[in-house]
Amino acid sequence: MERIFCDLRRCLACGACELACAVEHSSSKDLFRAVLEGEAPVGRREVQAAPFGSVSLNISLACHHCDPAPCVDACITGAMHHEDGVVLVDQERCVGCWMCVMACPFGAITPSKLKVALKCDLCPDREGKAGRARYACVEACPTEALFAGEFVEFKRLLEEEVVPY
Amino acid sequence: MKNIIIGSSAAGISAAEALRRADPTCEIVMISDEPNPLYSRPLISYYLAGELPEERIYYRPPDFYERNRIEARLGRRAVRVEPRANRVILDNGEELEYDNLLLATGAVPVFPEIEGLEKRGVFGFRTLKDAKEMLRLLPEVKEAVVLGGGLVGLKAAVGLRARGVEVTVAVGSPHLLSQMIDARASEIYGELLEAHGIKVATGMEPAKILGDSQVTGVLMRSGEELPCQLVVVGKGVRANLEPVEGTEVRYDYGIIIDEHCRTNIPNIYAAGDVAQSYDVVRGEHWTNALWPCAVEQGRVAGLNMAAKEAVYRGSIGMNSVQLFDLPVISAGLAGLRERDFDEELIVQPAPRVYKRLVLRGDRVVGFILVGEIENAGLIRSLVAKGVSVAGLKDQLLRESFGFSEVLPLIEGRSERFPEREYQELIETMRLVS
Repeated sequence: MERIFCDLRRCLACGACELACAVEHSSSKDLFRAVLEGEAPVGRREVQAAPFGSVSLNISLACHHCDPAPCVDACITGAMHHEDGVVLVDQERCVGCWMCVMACPFGAITPSKLKVALKCDLCPDREGKAGRARYACVEACPTEALFAGEFVEFKRLLEEEVVPY
Repeated sequence: MKNIIIGSSAAGISAAEALRRADPTCEIVMISDEPNPLYSRPLISYYLAGELPEERIYYRPPDFYERNRIEARLGRRAVRVEPRANRVILDNGEELEYDNLLLATGAVPVFPEIEGLEKRGVFGFRTLKDAKEMLRLLPEVKEAVVLGGGLVGLKAAVGLRARGVEVTVAVGSPHLLSQMIDARASEIYGELLEAHGIKVATGMEPAKILGDSQVTGVLMRSGEELPCQLVVVGKGVRANLEPVEGTEVRYDYGIIIDEHCRTNIPNIYAAGDVAQSYDVVRGEHWTNALWPCAVEQGRVAGLNMAAKEAVYRGSIGMNSVQLFDLPVISAGLAGLRERDFDEELIVQPAPRVYKRLVLRGDRVVGFILVGEIENAGLIRSLVAKGVSVAGLKDQLLRESFGFSEVLPLIEGRSERFPEREYQELIETMRLVS
């Protein structure tokens, strides 16, 4: 199952992934139009400083698409569900009880003001796009810190040395 | 193999799905005393309030039984289990034999020992039938009294208020939600309910339900009379032990289960509100009658019934609710009467934001988050994992606190964090360093 991983050595905490995620999940998928239309796009990814021994690195975090997933277990409506290994929210069925927010050990679910849970959905509207363009955050990452693929492939990337920018 | 599951709510459904996935050919029979059991119990308050129509409170589609090749025995009560004969007796006298049995019989409302409970207009608030009968009576109801200030009572109160009923919540203890939150958080909710037109009367125990065949009011022990045409009893629930009472199956407040969700009888399992599992914060078996625990226990039981080893790591008390526009999540030793802790940290940055962290030594053993709930899951996982947070405790309640700050607690601790997602992070950190 393909998922998104962050190489802490490459992440500069520029926030491009957060913005790209928010725009991808806005109705117009365009930053300026979304803002002009009065919509404040909400991202489902967050860059955080990660204490690492004596230094501080950065990590871009979102849903890990756990299996089994505590949020799916906790959901009282069945809105939070697994679909081919991806954890998705059916927004029509979500009632905003926040049991999933209570359950998620990674803090990767946002309780929105509209009383629906928001989380990484692996960009369903980009299905069919190839390479880095498949996911908005991966495409936007200028240092290629974000990687889409199997964890074994990501591990191979981590074994390579990083070329300093 | 013939598997019988008694109960068809969260734990029963979860077990049946896990069992069917792990064993495509085994026989599964599900027994439920409800004619239409696939709805989500916590959603009946949304249905009562008119926020969700009936078809939206179903947790699984009507073809659930067919699709999973389950023989459903609906509207039938399992009255007795005979562990030695591997047999379940139904209320019509029918006897069913099993190889493996799952007891997912849930819980039933506790009614106080007072006169008048049989009158028309007195309800527990547990089943879809309760909600439907309340709605049917609604045209005759101007005032309602909710006995009990727990989650079930308050959700019923909010639902009735949404229907225009004048509601009084009569609480025996001095505080609302005393199992879930402390006195200060409770005050915030008291004010919130009053602001939305729900009266809250604390220190009030009922003495008698008044009326002839129909409820006309509640006489309180104080001598005060609260006129009403509907009474909701929200005085907690108890495990539904009926089929195992007097048998060899070991129970206390609930049926005692081990880390495989198995009872003391090797081919009998229990899960959900009826089960008493190991509580990792309390260090003893405890009934945490909660949806997420029921689903997880059900899955673990189902897998083990299919001879696929699965382990249940224990439960903690927790809950989440949004009343009107104010959410609260609490877990662990968060209730009013919990005293088994060394230290508490409290922040209240705004009138309707309240956060409290409870520590024993350098471990978090409970928390309450009112208003700002984003980090609830993260803190809950620290409670459940029981790891030391010594260097972090002053940061946990900050709005900016995030998962990355927990990474040093996880690093190199594969045993405590066996889940795939943590393992990947541990491996990532090892390779990056």
